[in-house]
Amino acid sequence: MTAVEVPVVVPVAIGMPTRKPKGDGHRPDMLALDAGEQFRFGFSMAACIGCHSCEVACAEQNGLPADTVGRRVGEIEGGVHPDTRRVHLSMSCNHCLEPACLEGCPTNAYEKLSNGIVAHHADECIGCQYCTWNCPYSVPAFQPDRRIVTKCDLCQPRLGAGLEPACVSACPTEAITIEKVNVAEWRADPSAGNAPQLPDVGLTLSTTRIELPDDMPADAYAVSDWNVRPEHPHWPLVWLTIVSQIAVGVSATAGPLQHRVLAAALAGSSLVGAIFHLGRPAMAYKALRNLRRSWLSREVLLLSLYAVLAAAAVAVPGLRVVATIAGAAGLFASGRLYIVPGRPAWNSPLTIVRFGATALATGPWLTGHRHLAIAGLVVALASLVANWIRLVRLDTRPARGALLLELRWFRPWTMFRVLLVAGAIASFGAPLAVPFALSVVAELVGRWLFFVSVVPLNIPGAFWRGAAGSHR
Amino acid sequence: MTRLRDAVERFLGVDHLGDRYTYVDDQSREGRGPVSASRAADHWVRTTCGYCSVGCGMLVGVRDGAAVAVMGDPDHPVNCGRLCPKGLSEHQTIAAPGRLLAPRVDGREASWDVALGRVADGFRDIVERHGPESVAVLSTGQLVTEEFYALGKLVRLGMGVRHFDGNTTLCMASAVAGYKMSFGADGPPGCYEDFDLADVVVLWGANIADNHPLLAPRVLSRAASQTLVVVDPRVTKSAMLADVHIPVRPRGDVALLNGILRVLIDEQLVDLDAAREHVDGLDQLVAHLSTWTVERAAEESDVAPEALVALARTIGRAERCVLAWTMGVNHSVQGTETVTLLNTLALLTGNVGRPGASPFSITGQCNAMGTREAGFTASMPGYRGYDDAAARAELSSLLGVDESRLPAARGRAYPDIVNAVVSGRIKGLWIIATNPVVSYPHREILEIGLRGLDLLVVQDGFETPTVALADVVLPAAIWGEKDGTFTNSERRVSRVRAAVEPPGEARTDFDIVMALARRWGCHDELFGGWRGPADAFVEWRRVSAGRPCDYSGITYERIDQCGGVQWPCPEGDDVAPGGTPRLYTDLRFHRADGRALVHAVEPKPISDPVRPEFPLLLNTGRTVEHWHTRTKTGRVPILENLSPEAWVEINPADAKSFGVRSGDWVQVSSRRGSVDRIRARVTTIVRKGEVFIPFHWDNACANRLTVPEFDPISREPNYKQCAVNVQRVQPAGRRERRTFTASP
Repeated sequence: MTAVEVPVVVPVAIGMPTRKPKGDGHRPDMLALDAGEQFRFGFSMAACIGCHSCEVACAEQNGLPADTVGRRVGEIEGGVHPDTRRVHLSMSCNHCLEPACLEGCPTNAYEKLSNGIVAHHADECIGCQYCTWNCPYSVPAFQPDRRIVTKCDLCQPRLGAGLEPACVSACPTEAITIEKVNVAEWRADPSAGNAPQLPDVGLTLSTTRIELPDDMPADAYAVSDWNVRPEHPHWPLVWLTIVSQIAVGVSATAGPLQHRVLAAALAGSSLVGAIFHLGRPAMAYKALRNLRRSWLSREVLLLSLYAVLAAAAVAVPGLRVVATIAGAAGLFASGRLYIVPGRPAWNSPLTIVRFGATALATGPWLTGHRHLAIAGLVVALASLVANWIRLVRLDTRPARGALLLELRWFRPWTMFRVLLVAGAIASFGAPLAVPFALSVVAELVGRWLFFVSVVPLNIPGAFWRGAAGSHR
Repeated sequence: MTRLRDAVERFLGVDHLGDRYTYVDDQSREGRGPVSASRAADHWVRTTCGYCSVGCGMLVGVRDGAAVAVMGDPDHPVNCGRLCPKGLSEHQTIAAPGRLLAPRVDGREASWDVALGRVADGFRDIVERHGPESVAVLSTGQLVTEEFYALGKLVRLGMGVRHFDGNTTLCMASAVAGYKMSFGADGPPGCYEDFDLADVVVLWGANIADNHPLLAPRVLSRAASQTLVVVDPRVTKSAMLADVHIPVRPRGDVALLNGILRVLIDEQLVDLDAAREHVDGLDQLVAHLSTWTVERAAEESDVAPEALVALARTIGRAERCVLAWTMGVNHSVQGTETVTLLNTLALLTGNVGRPGASPFSITGQCNAMGTREAGFTASMPGYRGYDDAAARAELSSLLGVDESRLPAARGRAYPDIVNAVVSGRIKGLWIIATNPVVSYPHREILEIGLRGLDLLVVQDGFETPTVALADVVLPAAIWGEKDGTFTNSERRVSRVRAAVEPPGEARTDFDIVMALARRWGCHDELFGGWRGPADAFVEWRRVSAGRPCDYSGITYERIDQCGGVQWPCPEGDDVAPGGTPRLYTDLRFHRADGRALVHAVEPKPISDPVRPEFPLLLNTGRTVEHWHTRTKTGRVPILENLSPEAWVEINPADAKSFGVRSGDWVQVSSRRGSVDRIRARVTTIVRKGEVFIPFHWDNACANRLTVPEFDPISREPNYKQCAVNVQRVQPAGRRERRTFTASP
């Protein structure tokens, strides 16, 4: 029982296939680019047989754990038997010209390399997962064992060695290819990056070239459509947003010392949530590195500044207004960062209105401004309903999914929330603690629903792989 | 203290496990390149994939005595370096959880000595008390040919077991029987190259995109002039590759083939006079086809008359046509007869024995062919018939045993062994590398039978539902731990090599056979001087000489030099180094007079037809991510995550009337049993009135529903047509967060 090392032997000609054998993965032509070019994937839907070899090859190449997926094969079907049409879409990172992951990353962990590859630097990643919301294709994935996000780098080390990416090399039907593209030409006409059930190429200027079959029926749907699942609740973010918003509500209406102490305490403790949400809390300081582009960086800066100013306002009452302005700006940044195309249920100014309404509906109870709090509650409900109406009108897969989750799947919780608001309004005359508690619980439930009932834009999935985003 | 510090550091994310996920430049093999350190090898072992019978060449990467990676063998002519997802993760099967590590007797761990003693004494005792008919052996298509040959000798000549069959009867028996009826011997006449060369490729009941993925490139990269036809009731992934998809009614194949033959004869697209030179039975066939008008054939096959005529013309006018089939044909009570019709179609249209022109069965298991050739089950080694006096004399002299030691007849086939187990006539059963509890039709009856045995011995690599019923468990080595050869669908004999040692006390099937032979006292007589599988191969070459599956010119060295050798390969200079790509090039067949025989076939109705209580017709099959009963693939996390549960496909029109939506949990029931909880997939893959369930799962076992009905000639089960009902039990809703568990 000894392992035998066998020399490579070139097969003799007779009895061998006439078919031209596929390459051995060597692609020296991929070592260099001409000026203005970048690397990209090509994909032929007509050639793909849906074998999933690319997914396994990617996992093997990168040694990925089973719960982290570097490439996914979705399935689209339509038509009526026997004129059924079924096609598959294999997709990994699209190495976009305007990568949303990179734009939003607070630590600048992403880098658009000169060869066009959107590289992710693990050392710089703090595991905030903001890129998993930003990417319309849900490509970056949180890898639980590493507590950071990982994604396809087009097998950059293999390219450097003159080899194809592992998925390209593994594809038995040559449906996946590695190509060079002239960036300016693609920017002028990226329409070959579109496919049925795929986010519009214009969002990020995905570079993957997709060859469509010539007879896709108009009613083609993703076979994953049934598989709508709640997203991760992100409890630390529920804490951060709710507590910071209560704090701003208090700051804005604070009078005596105890109000200002309360605001400072709330503002400070809200930040704990920000830290605990990270996969790598020790690296939290890196979140300030992309103030130029990332609303997440701005949120961190503004809410931290607010916490400092709120603390200072305890001693110097005159700083309360400045602190409130910082807090309101932080609240704005907080809301603004959720307005991303990759999460259609959040992708509206209503998100900022809803966050502001929370501040108004909670903090003022503590400072005795009952009418203001009631107004906040009314705005909170109105903006919630307005968002539902918006999603009904949108009538896209993720919009329908979000409504399904919030109004059917989580209907008891949604009703509970509305009842709590009604109760808070009805207990107008009760001791302040009662309407305050009702309002806070209402907003907590609402914020939890906000996170779990969002459905990513995403690529079409296979029957078993649903529409879930970062934690798929 | 250190643990606390580690936990804190881990929480704070000081380290992101960069070391574990770093790339290294793997220099162990040219072209390997940078790869995750976890997959870096220190040497590579050349072997052949152990899943399906396409027979892809692969290399297993080994580091520190463990299999850590695989790569397709770029020099292998079958797959040219490519693999399917099962092959790409095959190294993970070796260290997968659930391996059998020590023998067990009556549920307790035991030494090999005790376990083999119990097996030998137990079977002897049963034979003494109940006679020689009371013991049977069920083998597999998963062992190496050397093991099949040795096992056959032990079982038939050493132990004198009358009833010996394998799970190959559950998949390819109808192809075997059909070849024998048409050509006089088993053996797929064509080769994969024919797919490249044909003008017309017909895949009849063959979903290669899911089940033989590495054949798909051959029809996908086809020249524009090639026409691909897929005949299948479902719109399979393969049907989507086709130029023409014929959605034949289930069991409509015979009618369709009769109609095609009739059109070919009427339109004089076949030269009957030329065919008469080498084919018998033509007059009876032509007379029989007189009742098969296009209208009747179209009606009974549910194919439009114009489509039927067009298909016949496409086949008839082709210069070179490959007629390939697999389970859509074989898994039928009429499998054998349907195979003969496909052979007839090939014979009449001149599509036999020429490049790009052949009937061709695409085999299932990695080495189903090996047991067909050497296994001593349906025939004696070398395709020798039990009733062939000359072959009996020849074999007994080659083996040096008295002719009376050779079995007088085949003995019971698989379903007849099971029937005898259920009725109590068989008291002792040895099952090797197969999992009938999940794979055999009408599961409930089978389980009752197995529980009633006096002695059930199960030899396998993993815990399975069948192992759970065993009195004696023999832990076996699996693919990657054994040496020998596999034969693929195109008769290509390829090498299989051990990359690592078997775990625990597991032994190769070869060693188990030898040890049991010693226990039985027949080792020296049957296996004297044998040290390993290579000795079995040498003897098998000698025994196969002059037979249709002639191995005499095949050596391990020649296999390595040629990327496999196709039999027949008699010793001598007149055969190409790679063997014989095609059979019957001289149109001389293996029947006594050298002539082929065509058969007239009438379709049989479905025995369990749809009716008001069971209004839907069930079809079963496979998915690309899994293999058979998931004994291996259910333990490979990435495959399991890709396809974690069974499902039932139902047409939107039926779904509406049954109140079922995609993702709903439904119950599927037949007269025999029910699958209580299975996800519905509402899809136009299946036609109205039909449903489909993949048969891989134990917990949603399609074989609780299937009908125990068998081809009267091949004894292959009719897995593909039975009546069922569907009822919604729970709407799609909160989906349990599924985490991978290693318990298929």
